[in-house]
Amino acid sequence: MNKIFMRHYPVSFEEHFQLSPDDLEQFLRIALSQGGDFSEIFLEYRMSNSIRMEEDIIKETSENIMLGIGIRVIFSDQTGYGYTNDPSPAKIKKAALTAASIAKGELIQPPVQLQYALPPHNFYPVFSPTLEDSLDRKISLVKETYHAASHFDENIKEVKITFIEQVRYITIVNSEGLSISDVQPLLKLICLCIAEKSGKREAGFSGGGGRVGLDFFRKNLTPGQIGGEAAEEALNLLEAVLPPAGEMPIVLAPGHSGVLIHEAVGHLLEADFNRKKTSVFWDKLGKRVGNEQIFIYDDPTIPFFRGSYNIDDEGTVPKKTPLIEGGKLVGFLQDRLSAKLMGMPLTGHGRRQDYTCIPVPRMSNTYIDKGEYDPENIIRSVSRGFYAHRYQGGQVEDSGKFTFSVSSGFLIEGGKLTAPVKQATLIGTNIDILRKIDKVGSDLIFGLQTGTCGKEGQAAPVTDGCPTLKITSMTVGGLR
Amino acid sequence: MSGQKESTGLMNLAESLASFGKTQGADEIEITVVEGMEFDVDVRYGKIENLIEAGSKYLAMRVIKEKRTAFATSSDLSMDTLQQLMKNAIRRTEYANLDEYTGLPNPSKSTFDQASLNIYDPEISELDPKKKIALAMETEKIALADRRITNSHGASFETKEIKTHLVNSFGFIGEYKETVCSLSVGVQAGETDEKVEDFWSSSQRYFKDLEPPEKIAQRAVERTVRQIRPRKIQTQNVSVIFEPPMTSWLLGFLFSCVSGMAVYQKLSFLADKLGEKIGNDNITVYDDGHMPGKLGTRPFDSEGVPTSQNTVIQKGMLKNFLCDTYAARKLKLQSTGNADGAGVGPNNFYLQAGEFSPEEIIKSTAKGLILTRTLGHGLNPVTGDISRGAFGLWVVKGEIAYPVSEITIAGNLGKILNQIEMVGNDLEFRSPISGPTIKIQQLTIAGE
Repeated sequence: MNKIFMRHYPVSFEEHFQLSPDDLEQFLRIALSQGGDFSEIFLEYRMSNSIRMEEDIIKETSENIMLGIGIRVIFSDQTGYGYTNDPSPAKIKKAALTAASIAKGELIQPPVQLQYALPPHNFYPVFSPTLEDSLDRKISLVKETYHAASHFDENIKEVKITFIEQVRYITIVNSEGLSISDVQPLLKLICLCIAEKSGKREAGFSGGGGRVGLDFFRKNLTPGQIGGEAAEEALNLLEAVLPPAGEMPIVLAPGHSGVLIHEAVGHLLEADFNRKKTSVFWDKLGKRVGNEQIFIYDDPTIPFFRGSYNIDDEGTVPKKTPLIEGGKLVGFLQDRLSAKLMGMPLTGHGRRQDYTCIPVPRMSNTYIDKGEYDPENIIRSVSRGFYAHRYQGGQVEDSGKFTFSVSSGFLIEGGKLTAPVKQATLIGTNIDILRKIDKVGSDLIFGLQTGTCGKEGQAAPVTDGCPTLKITSMTVGGLR
Repeated sequence: MSGQKESTGLMNLAESLASFGKTQGADEIEITVVEGMEFDVDVRYGKIENLIEAGSKYLAMRVIKEKRTAFATSSDLSMDTLQQLMKNAIRRTEYANLDEYTGLPNPSKSTFDQASLNIYDPEISELDPKKKIALAMETEKIALADRRITNSHGASFETKEIKTHLVNSFGFIGEYKETVCSLSVGVQAGETDEKVEDFWSSSQRYFKDLEPPEKIAQRAVERTVRQIRPRKIQTQNVSVIFEPPMTSWLLGFLFSCVSGMAVYQKLSFLADKLGEKIGNDNITVYDDGHMPGKLGTRPFDSEGVPTSQNTVIQKGMLKNFLCDTYAARKLKLQSTGNADGAGVGPNNFYLQAGEFSPEEIIKSTAKGLILTRTLGHGLNPVTGDISRGAFGLWVVKGEIAYPVSEITIAGNLGKILNQIEMVGNDLEFRSPISGPTIKIQQLTIAGE
């Protein structure tokens, strides 16, 4: 058996980049040569593999390597940034000087002495990093998922499976002497399938993963579950009716509806938007913004979750961060720059897509905490309304207006879920929705571990969760 | 010039890696090396917020052995790493299944002439950074001078210079250079709990073609303040006028439904409609990678197939799907020069302009909505269903009456294509996918 994905590449950054701590100290110094307040070097080495199956065959596999260095200088509230994927001293020096050009003056910072630190926790103790696992095992998983979906029902006509694994090695050193590294595994197995019946076609989707090893797909979430769930969604949609249009009471299903919290609330609690006063929340810290049953947290420390990390992309050890407690706004998600400018403590939410990007405040695993109401009773309390079950995604703008796209849901009639509904859009403004959540269920669940959030063109893996929620009224966009 | 030397170096790297792959047993090899230079400045309230300047390179390889495919990419361009990736890829081909449709495009004799395409502006690499910063500053300053503007998202100036090198084992060798520059500004109006926001930008291949700061700032301000104090409206079916950026958005969705990849995967509601009438006579859509100076122009696609003009829809008739070599073989069509890395992408994909001015289109509308922005996802290529959050201007008796928000629009692309009543004469190529103002007979607007 060929064992192809062996770790034949060295893993410590000194070996990838051929840089000693002395070299790094010197580059940090060059970056401050024009009077910057703070300099930082971000080193990244990333290996990823993917497998794609469709039309009954393994179409292709791919192996990808990313190597690069980003250098940042902060001068008051201004940021200079240079990056390179050529780790030669000349190119790194050039990037350092580019970053330095944001400042005006001369070197005033004391020499840097790097102190190597280890992250205090490991939130993803994966025994066998998947890159070292055999390709045969991964292909078996892909095939099993494929067949679970394609054999689920005779109306399943097309199946597409994608498996993606990644290990990201990052090291952050900065002019305050910090030197810290992390190894971040990430896995994802997803299934898309098309059901077709009497001329109608619908798509279903499912998947899972996280910062886990391959065993996850044997012990926690099996190929059978993933394939079956995707097939079931597509088949249900074949029977779905067009959504109603207009304002009505909404019940949000637990788990997947976490995207509402992410879009409607999470983004606008990212510190940069509040520092710049573009977020509707900027003047509401300490104030009541929603129903007292509402408790919202962002927690990068949940073991094995897709959105978790031992250190953020600025080297900060993250904390579970309360955002809204008892309906009161209590915190923002901070990166170094915003925390400094706002005079607030770091929360460990400075993230970046990769070495070409400046870190910005981002969410990790965001959720609304469980409440007291029995989920069954919540549904029963609605005589006519809409139950939002699965989503394609959502979007928000700083003014608080947001939408989210419901791929499947149900009508609620007489306190019961009745006809399945497809393709609806919910729209609202965030402050309004926080006030209109009037029942929080006791069943907190997290959504699929497959989500990616975009901000300013940067992608970051995230998860979100929520219990069953009732919103007194919201606009549903539909065709009737 | 050192830049040129380096470029030759990258072509040599691609060629020697391809020959190495042949000695290791690959049947077909394709190597792409892309080198990019980026400059990006963001300013806010008259100060630089972020200044980024950098260069980077990456290499991508496709390897086929016995009709089985493997891919690899790397931003580590050391020969040791690349050769190891090549060896791994060749071994990994055994894990893929035999696929008779796989393979490089058949060698073609056609030549291309980079110079006539006008996609590289030598002035861009010469621009003084101070000038670029000043442009962003000036744009923001003009926008903020309007008293109705209450906050700034900042202004940005960005340039990109990209060199693409492509080599394959059928003897294709090609390279081209391109530039893009863009200037943008975003603003807010209104107080904290009743804010509205929008932005405007101009992107061009040539620096001299960029819209001036005054025009960009004015458009951003205009687009923002026209949304102040929106009303809610009742749920109803009315005519909807799409402004050009919204037509582009709709065309982006149409593109995903005529992409040969979506078609052979049966992920498109148009999959079995080739040669059929799918829209009314007002609709003619082209994809053209050969229009001089446009943002979607390139001499050849990512597999080295020369780009050309392809008619996608002619007077409502679906004439062609846009394909890379693989999708074309699956569908028994010809590649249209739309290969884009791992899939199919647009070149300049546009709806042909019509005869009406935007003013005439608005005047003709007794009651309706001018769609100015959408928010969210809600597009399903499998069914053609559309459902999006929307912002717009309400039209009564041919005049704009007031802004509306917290509405959604819903419809189906298949139906919309048959309901485009009027097509505007205001087509501008502001992005690779573009269209003029259009008026749709009827869509469902959900409000109160």
